[in-house]
Amino acid sequence: MTTAAGTLVPLGAFIALSAALFFIGMAGVLVRRNAVVILMSVELMLNAANLAFVAFSRRLGLLDERGSVFVIFVFVVAAAEVAVGLAIVLALYRNRPTVDVDEMREMKG
Amino acid sequence: MLDILEPLLFALLALSILGAGLGVVLANRITTSALLMAFTFLNMAGMFVLLGAETIAAFQVLIYVGAITVLILYGIMFTPQAPRSYGLFFQQQTPAGAAIAALVALPVMGIAFAFHDAGPVGPRGGDLPRLATSVFTDFAFPFEIASVLLLAAMIGAIVLVKREP
Repeated sequence: MTTAAGTLVPLGAFIALSAALFFIGMAGVLVRRNAVVILMSVELMLNAANLAFVAFSRRLGLLDERGSVFVIFVFVVAAAEVAVGLAIVLALYRNRPTVDVDEMREMKG
Repeated sequence: MLDILEPLLFALLALSILGAGLGVVLANRITTSALLMAFTFLNMAGMFVLLGAETIAAFQVLIYVGAITVLILYGIMFTPQAPRSYGLFFQQQTPAGAAIAALVALPVMGIAFAFHDAGPVGPRGGDLPRLATSVFTDFAFPFEIASVLLLAAMIGAIVLVKREP
């Protein structure tokens, strides 16, 4: 598929990159035990979803920008999530000096 | 010459994103993770420009590279990081976690390449007017809800970290 600007990267390549980044983030959430690194991995997953949204929005031949609107909402939710998440990590750290999620068992009966 | 420019840029950005993303998960020092995360977000902004969504790319730089990275760096500075906070390869759930991620990833990667472009590609650039029209007409109500969510998150974060007098 070509345009005047040159060869276009196919949609599948963007989606594959998005999936790969998503699973890198997922592996980070599952494997790392530091709460801050888990938050960072969640941000990577959100960003991978954003890439898929924008790619579909631009490449599926729609003339409006509905997919990109959802990206803006994801930005809002990500900002709220990281602010509250870090606040929870800091509050937990104040009660018990660790950021290791394996050590946090206050809610366990 | 111009024909290979876009695939070349895509390959460069994709390699940076995947490499830095892996670095975030595997890096030994947590500050390295945070800065690699900022680098991933920056390259993702380049990817948005490549897709012709300049407004989203600008928001990406402002919110992710600017705000969220700084917030995470603050979080790192406020919590002491153990010198051996790695604990990546010598714990029980690592093989299981990696196996689950790989098991789910493989079929999804297969499906991903099956997507093809449909119809004409939208015009490049100038996405702000259409974006703004969508936000303030079809999505006006979610937009207001988002402002409430941000207010709630702000108040929640302040209440959570406030010290008891």
